[in-house]
Amino acid sequence: MKFAIESIKKNSGRLGKLRIKDSGPELRTPLLLQTTKGGSIPWLSSDVFESHVSRKPQVLQFTLSTMDQMAEALAQWNIGGGRGLSDYVGLPGHLNILLLRDPCETTPSGGNDRDIQPLFTRRGKESLTPERYMEMVASFKPDIYQGLCDADTNLESAKKRVQKSVDRTEKFMHYVYENRANVESTLLAPIVGGYNTFARTQSIKHAREQPAGSYGGYILEGFHTNGLSATTLDSSKLLPIVEHCVKQLEEDKPRIMPGAFAPLTILELIRQGVDVFDTSYAYCASMNFKALTFSFVQDTKEHVPFLDITDDVIKEDFSPPMNNCSCLTCQKHTRAYLHHLYKTNELLGPILLMVHNLHHYITFFETIRESVAKDKLPELTELVKNQNTKSQVDYSIAVNTKVITKATMGKGFAAAAV
Amino acid sequence: MSSSKIPPLTYKVVAECSVSKARAGLMTLRHSEVNTPVFMPVGTQGTLKGILPDQLIELNCQILLGNTYHLGLRPGIDTLKKAGGLHKFMGWPRAILTDSGGFQMVSLLQLAEIDEHGVNFRSPFDNSQCMLTPEHSIQIQNAIGADIMMQLDDVVKTTTTGPRVEEAMERTIRWVDRCIEAHARDDDQSLFPIVQGGLDVPLRQRCVSALMERQVRGFAVGGLSGGESKHDFWRMVDVCTGYLPRDKPRYLMGVGFAADLVVCVALGIDMFDCVFPTRTARFGCALVDSGQLNLKQPKYKLDMEPIDQKCHCSTCKRYTRSYLHHIATNESVSCSLLSIHNIAYQLRLMGSMRQAIQRDEFPQFVKDFMAKHFKTDPIPAWIREALAAVNIQLPADPEKEDQDLEKKTKAEKRQETENVAEEQVATS
Repeated sequence: MKFAIESIKKNSGRLGKLRIKDSGPELRTPLLLQTTKGGSIPWLSSDVFESHVSRKPQVLQFTLSTMDQMAEALAQWNIGGGRGLSDYVGLPGHLNILLLRDPCETTPSGGNDRDIQPLFTRRGKESLTPERYMEMVASFKPDIYQGLCDADTNLESAKKRVQKSVDRTEKFMHYVYENRANVESTLLAPIVGGYNTFARTQSIKHAREQPAGSYGGYILEGFHTNGLSATTLDSSKLLPIVEHCVKQLEEDKPRIMPGAFAPLTILELIRQGVDVFDTSYAYCASMNFKALTFSFVQDTKEHVPFLDITDDVIKEDFSPPMNNCSCLTCQKHTRAYLHHLYKTNELLGPILLMVHNLHHYITFFETIRESVAKDKLPELTELVKNQNTKSQVDYSIAVNTKVITKATMGKGFAAAAV
Repeated sequence: MSSSKIPPLTYKVVAECSVSKARAGLMTLRHSEVNTPVFMPVGTQGTLKGILPDQLIELNCQILLGNTYHLGLRPGIDTLKKAGGLHKFMGWPRAILTDSGGFQMVSLLQLAEIDEHGVNFRSPFDNSQCMLTPEHSIQIQNAIGADIMMQLDDVVKTTTTGPRVEEAMERTIRWVDRCIEAHARDDDQSLFPIVQGGLDVPLRQRCVSALMERQVRGFAVGGLSGGESKHDFWRMVDVCTGYLPRDKPRYLMGVGFAADLVVCVALGIDMFDCVFPTRTARFGCALVDSGQLNLKQPKYKLDMEPIDQKCHCSTCKRYTRSYLHHIATNESVSCSLLSIHNIAYQLRLMGSMRQAIQRDEFPQFVKDFMAKHFKTDPIPAWIREALAAVNIQLPADPEKEDQDLEKKTKAEKRQETENVAEEQVATS
């Protein structure tokens, strides 16, 4: 994996070029990974993704917690070089990175027994030893994989838990570093330690003690426990600790931070020097029936961060989810139709929302890279923060708790037939 | 010539099988041309579950079915009117057919009672007494704006016998007149009457002749595929197609198993619909010539082949049985992937039949299909009889090879039948 910094600006963060495979494309950072579940982009077949979201080569973010049951099949698939992990999930031609935890869902806490790392899967808790983990990486053969780590910390974690996460990670990584030669994939060094500067420094120190070439980048975890929790992070707490970490990391290695961070938080993290993010925020929005409508194009109009698809006021609103959007959903469908799909619990609802939300988020990242290149990240941050309103808009996502009852179904038919 | 002068449905027979009653036709509707015989996937609530309209067009799907009962409930006729009809509401530019809503009334709602006025039912909202009359059904279908709509018919269980069957048949004829009278958009939409008459040949004959006296552009055959014996089923289809006029399309409601489609095309049916292909996809099953693969079975875990080597659908191009095994019923994308394949399968089967009819090779097609479909299993007697009735003689069954295999396949077949019987009760 090759990474080169193109520019670093005090107020706009860094612009980089990332080549994951010699034969692969050169990608630009800040980079957006495509989050997957069970290997697929949530709700979207490869056909729909490539026809209606993006034709460009992507980096797919696979998670062991949603794919561990495929290990045996992948071992067979990959025999003799094989066609690769992305081909197996129907997305050939795309690069990939294997993480442990699904950033889309809250990772349960606990289960941190001696010498094993819990892996929370659909079937419940599995116990990963470092040995088993490295075997699985060898079966999966991802382009990049993360080091095994205990990231079970957040802002509320007690000092003892934070320290344990660092110590356990060190122990796991000891094995991983020793045996990394058995896999061809590029390793990411995990940096953990919650919101504790001392613990973070210790974690970074362990990574930096390794011989040159041991790993190709850093993955920063332990700030949140995934799922919606990442959408509500307090920047005033998060940014100082990230800044503390970043200044101790080698500059010439990419820094990855998985999680459904709010768009404003993403911009603030980019300014701190974080390079790689993922689309789990678009997933969380779609899952909770929100169409992303925040604006990142400078104008003077006021914008709202989301369109709430569950809101009855759009029942007969035949305008597109977002004006001036070129995605399939906005070109061919209406708010009223999305609302109907929500009310009828139809699968096409999240599909259409995901098409729009991914399209919007990918375009957002294109704008980010332009802004970083022009050293205009502060202006973009200001727009995203206030959306031309007088106060900061709220990007957090709450669980949709509305229940569709017969009483809210509308009386169209009965009314006609009475 | 202005478009309003052209009838909203024209049908012409393109080719006829020189042996059986099979025919290939071209039906031209306001929103699409439809090559028949055709299978119409069911998009109950204004969407085909998990599939984009663009993907259906990619599959060359020309006509979809919508359910009046569900659409009348949500989004409701006011919203549909304001949207300018279902085509615009769901973003589907091609043809749509709607049912009358009566079938769901009877199958979904408790305490639905039928009298001369219409179907009495309890409102699912407030439990108040409501009535769906032939006029209401047509009003709603006029608001939906489908290219083809169905009359409200008096539906009785296929297994019903005695005077109730005759009453239902006579009432269906009286109701078709009320539907025709209430139909306000005859320039855009075509109303099909429904042949009823249970499993009684003279009743079916009487119903067909009565309906043929009405000014209609096509006919539906109803009241079948609801648990009657296959022997009765094919005979009723055969009777109806024997009397229906040659120059109008014939729609057999609720039929969609591959073998049934082939037999009924041979008997002269042009249009079919069934929830089976999309419903079975949601259970992790993929349709192939030999029946269906239940991809959840452990034997597919390490199977690196596509569902069907010969299939050109986007699922078979990209995905292995192994991967689908892992995500089937777990990740919702599996529902989309298997539905795409299953609809592609149905549409390809219909396309192959059209081509065979046009080349006048349909009898050979039927023989080849049955050999592939049943492999070493004996071909059911009803299929042999039905095909023999239209002069297609299937070769004798091969010697039995594997007793176990046969048993298992039979169990799977029974499962299929149960799935669909269940589905017919609860289309959702």
